[in-house]
Amino acid sequence: MSEHDRLGPPPIEPLSDVAWSRIERGLWSRMDAATSVIEPRRPRRWIWLAAPALAAAAAVLAFGGDGGRPAVEGTARLVSGAAPTTLSYGDVHVALDAESAVVMDRMKGAVLERGAAWFTVAPRGDRAAFVVTAGDTLVRVVGTKFRVTRSGEEAAVQVEHGTVEVQFRGATARVGAGEAWTSRQPTAVTAARVAESEIELAPAPAAVPDRSPGGRAPALTAPARPSSVDRNPAVRPDRPPSGTRTVPPTSARDADAATYHRLEQLEVRDPRAAIDGYLALSRQSPRWAEPALFAAARLSADRRESRARYLIEIYLTRFPSGANVDDARKLLDHYSSQGAHK
Amino acid sequence: MRTAPAAVREHDRDLAQRAASGDRGAQRELFTAQRGAVHHALFRILGNNRDIEDLVQDAFFEIFRALPSFRGDSTLSRWCQTIATRVAYLAISRRRPMTVDLALVEDTVVDDADTERQVMLREATRRLYAALERIEAKQRVAFALAVVDGRSLAEVAELTDSTVIAVKTRVWRARKDLMKRASKDALLSSYLAELGGGSHERA
Repeated sequence: MSEHDRLGPPPIEPLSDVAWSRIERGLWSRMDAATSVIEPRRPRRWIWLAAPALAAAAAVLAFGGDGGRPAVEGTARLVSGAAPTTLSYGDVHVALDAESAVVMDRMKGAVLERGAAWFTVAPRGDRAAFVVTAGDTLVRVVGTKFRVTRSGEEAAVQVEHGTVEVQFRGATARVGAGEAWTSRQPTAVTAARVAESEIELAPAPAAVPDRSPGGRAPALTAPARPSSVDRNPAVRPDRPPSGTRTVPPTSARDADAATYHRLEQLEVRDPRAAIDGYLALSRQSPRWAEPALFAAARLSADRRESRARYLIEIYLTRFPSGANVDDARKLLDHYSSQGAHK
Repeated sequence: MRTAPAAVREHDRDLAQRAASGDRGAQRELFTAQRGAVHHALFRILGNNRDIEDLVQDAFFEIFRALPSFRGDSTLSRWCQTIATRVAYLAISRRRPMTVDLALVEDTVVDDADTERQVMLREATRRLYAALERIEAKQRVAFALAVVDGRSLAEVAELTDSTVIAVKTRVWRARKDLMKRASKDALLSSYLAELGGGSHERA
């Protein structure tokens, strides 16, 4: 390689300001949580009393616990990857969605760093209210089951039963069973039943830029039939038709719908993780397998991955009459024509 | 090894003491001052920003936990990078190697020489870190810091808490392994040579 052709060292890709604030926020949460659990050392004789209790707890978890995940009492940071996970924390049960993170602390309650979680909180009695913090949003709980969703600085709360008090930048709202609240409209509490209006934090129309050549924002609810590649003039002839969007099932009210929508949002920020998430969803959810597998194939084709063609072929084999079959065939045709030109 | 000026050492010690005592203002100051150095070390070893947010957070968490032991023998920046290097080493030694298809070479639309250079650099970087994924973690850390980042062996030895001889051996082994893997990859081979990690490297 001549001096003129020198490539130089690999560049350091900077982190965005949003990423730095996310890191800082998470860091201070962990620091606070770590500070609050420093307690004086107890006499060693308690070990002898604790041992049988620990053994009993281990037996319960092994044979009848919630998925075998141990209950945690100290400070814990729970981070989920492509699949959702659960945590029993004292008498609080947390069901964490995929691609989410929460810090649980005995003194301070929970800090939702990102993503979404269902919290089931036993009645507190004389104890202090359990508090979930999601950015500037504070959710105060006496005893209830509720869900908190966080996307950047925005948060949403929906309550299955009981009542929670939401504090947001000086304003307070009470959200009851079957009601929902979002930081986009902090003064309004939606009266609709939760089952009928699963709230999700979709990006605002121009908040998340769509980097696909089609230039369309990611679909957030069940979209209409996606426009074909031919109607998308921005698609370059030498690239897969990345403007296509997945057609999800008509109903988006199940738990997997939330995962699917979150993965759609993740496509821009971390496409590789989104593909992994889609593939995981396609394996675990019969209902969402079809759109999730196509989304993985479409995104993989967008990124020009070598496995894209393989994923499309699997999709067409598994779902020969799926809702996205036309687009899948177009993608496959594209690869076939590329192969013919080489 | 260069010694930091007395004023810098004094400032570092003072900031570390205040941060260690729980002063959130000092902790923020330390975070803001050192976040670039910590990210740089992590990125150089890992090769991308995927999963790096959690690792930056882990690194600073460890930094704040270890602050009471900071004596000011080295600069705060170097000390923070030592911890970041350890965090990166633990991360890559725990995870499974990623599957990367090295055979796939994409067609590229090139407008000008600089665009072509950028594309080549990106591809060469991708192949380099794909190859680094497959070598032993300590060798990878040593190679990334000494060859890719261009640090001296003595500095890498300090960052990895090992001897210069050990670092030299790791870099040599990593280079040998990488050149073997790059034998059928002209781009990676020439890029390794350019970085000083290939067969054309100075003795």
